Amino acid sequence: MKILVCIKQVPDLESRFKPNGSKLWYDEADLAFRMNEYDEYAVEQAVRLREQLGDAADVTVLSIGPDRVGEALKKAMAMGCDRAVHIADPDALLRDPWQIASIIASFAGGRGFDLIFTGMQSQDRGSAQVGVLVAELLGISCSTTLVGFACDGEYVIAKRELEGGIKGVVKLRLPALVTCQLGLNVPRYPTLPNIMKAKRKELLVIPVAELLATGPVAATVSFHPPMRKGSGMVLEGDVSTLVEQVIGILKEKTAVLR
Amino acid sequence: MDLDLTAEQKLIQETARDFARAELEPVAAQLDQGDDRTPFLANLKKLAELGFMGLNVKECYGGSEAGVIAFSVAMTEIARSCASTAVTLSVNNMVCEVIQAVGSEEQKRAYIPRICSGDYAAGSFALTESGAGSDPSGMTTQAVADGDGFVLNGAKLFITSAPYAGLFVVWAVTDREAPKGKGISCFLVEAGSPGLIIGREEKKMGQHASATNELLFDNCRVPATALMGRLNDGFRIAVGELAGGRIGIGSLGLGIGLAAMEYATRYATQRSQFGQKISGFQALQWIIADSFTELEAARLLLMNAAFKKEQGKPFGKEASMAKLYATEAANRACYAATQLLGGYGYTRDFPVERYTRDARICTIYEGTSEIQRLIIAREILRTFS
Ligand SMILES: Cc1cc2nc3c(=O)[nH]c(=O)nc-3n(C[C@H](O)[C@H](O)[C@H](O)COP(=O)(O)OP(=O)(O)OC[C@H]3O[C@@H](n4cnc5c(N)ncnc54)[C@H](O)[C@@H]3O)c2cc1C
Repeated sequence: MKILVCIKQVPDLESRFKPNGSKLWYDEADLAFRMNEYDEYAVEQAVRLREQLGDAADVTVLSIGPDRVGEALKKAMAMGCDRAVHIADPDALLRDPWQIASIIASFAGGRGFDLIFTGMQSQDRGSAQVGVLVAELLGISCSTTLVGFACDGEYVIAKRELEGGIKGVVKLRLPALVTCQLGLNVPRYPTLPNIMKAKRKELLVIPVAELLATGPVAATVSFHPPMRKGSGMVLEGDVSTLVEQVIGILKEKTAVLR
Repeated sequence: MDLDLTAEQKLIQETARDFARAELEPVAAQLDQGDDRTPFLANLKKLAELGFMGLNVKECYGGSEAGVIAFSVAMTEIARSCASTAVTLSVNNMVCEVIQAVGSEEQKRAYIPRICSGDYAAGSFALTESGAGSDPSGMTTQAVADGDGFVLNGAKLFITSAPYAGLFVVWAVTDREAPKGKGISCFLVEAGSPGLIIGREEKKMGQHASATNELLFDNCRVPATALMGRLNDGFRIAVGELAGGRIGIGSLGLGIGLAAMEYATRYATQRSQFGQKISGFQALQWIIADSFTELEAARLLLMNAAFKKEQGKPFGKEASMAKLYATEAANRACYAATQLLGGYGYTRDFPVERYTRDARICTIYEGTSEIQRLIIAREILRTFS
């Protein structure tokens, strides 16, 4: 089974963001980058499937961006992906989801991937469109916001998160694409020996010009860093409703409760 | 010249930081206050499984083969969250490295993988005695050849990890007639050896989760194969290995200093007095500027020493400079951080109080600041005479 995982490198969310010169995105200077959190769930799930299937599976991890995304790709390989593809594109952060999806689809098209994993969304742009657009462009089945996953080699059984805590179960025939949500799994830490060994795995670099054939369909008009907030959230009511509210927030907005 | 970490070093730093924040930070304050070491030992096991016990150890012995710079940055990240875990890591790595450097092939295969895998929770480095601290060559613990082995008698003091160590690297006098430092040998003693007694645990100012004990030898018999390196060549081994350990302790100090100043700086941007944030007062800005400048200098000294060691170049002077400066800077940073927090910094409700206690020992163990200055001066004066 040929598996593809698409990952993005995003700034550490604890960073302070300020607009860049064009005022259309954030300034990258002084930011520390790491793998998008949702993509860590995608990598983990792909690696678990690879462990389940053994050498019958081969996992390629792909990222579009400048040189620094090599670090995220190496992390994914240290976690267990077999090989990496770096689509070299210094302007990746400025592209709209349509262009990003087109680049991925143009790489994946004809390469016979049976299953593609992406994060549910990126932590910085947060469009949640890339995964579904790739599936559409490739004409394969797709399910989003996965919190549960199983695969027997022919079908994927996907447990999806719907609104208000409701879950849905979907059965997809391969080839398919799934987007991964918080709660799907707990990503492993890469071990140090595996970090060192990842150096020896194949890392293919492809210039973006070879894959990009389409312009943007949506343009960012302006970018606003968050207003400085004076206070946090204030909950009101009696103890039992307060507890319910807190549990609801912890479940939906954090990884504290699952 | 390139002052950037490699992608692998950055990933190791990120992994150490992620682990420290998720697993060590939440239990650090509780471990500082309590006697139950269960979460501490559980985290050591997890860190071993991730490869943190043998960062500069060859893969064939179960190490990570990640190098000395990776060791330094990992130590700093771990120490930011839990100094007790960091010192255990530092000693474990040092024990693995000393065996790798001077052990026989059988000794390397027998012991290094057990420490690297976490099969042994820890290894101990047993050099200090009550009468031999800064001057370990004055030790009196003895090993006497007897039949097909040696019999050890004496006592070691301040031995990190002793109650849960699986292996002890022990120095003992094997030739009482030899000139000072020329009659000491090094032995690998397994936990549970008859006559090896774990003595009293010290009640310390800080780094509480890490045990520091007396170690007694009462006719402790070890086989001839326990001798590591050549007979009467042990002191040279100890001195050589401590230089590497100093990079570890300097990096540990840096981690505590950074934790303290990061906490205090964030606090200063939130706390108001006289109708403004206290970070607006120039008096405090200068404290912040000076502390971070010193910590950055410490980091660069550590990177320089680590780089030299990784390149196989002499690094003793550089390691002493880095250890001296980083641990003193860490203590100054903790003092400054307490000042920034005012009265709150003196209470246990804020972590700066713990950082301050944890940092204090760093200018003492693995060679006091005075001993580092002695080494540095000796190295410098050598080139003038
Ligand atoms: C928590 C903790 C953990 C430790 N872990 C270990 C361990 O795992 N293994 C181990 O072997 N040891 C360990 N030690 C021992 C530690 O390395 C020694 O405490 C240290 O080397 C200093 O020795 P000392 O305490 O005997 O002080 P002393 O040597 O008595 O020093 C007292 C003072 O005299 C100064 N002094 C001594 N000689 C000179 C000189 N020539 N010139 C100027 N000043 C001098 C010292 O700098 C110091 O200020 C540990 C100690 C502690 C507290």
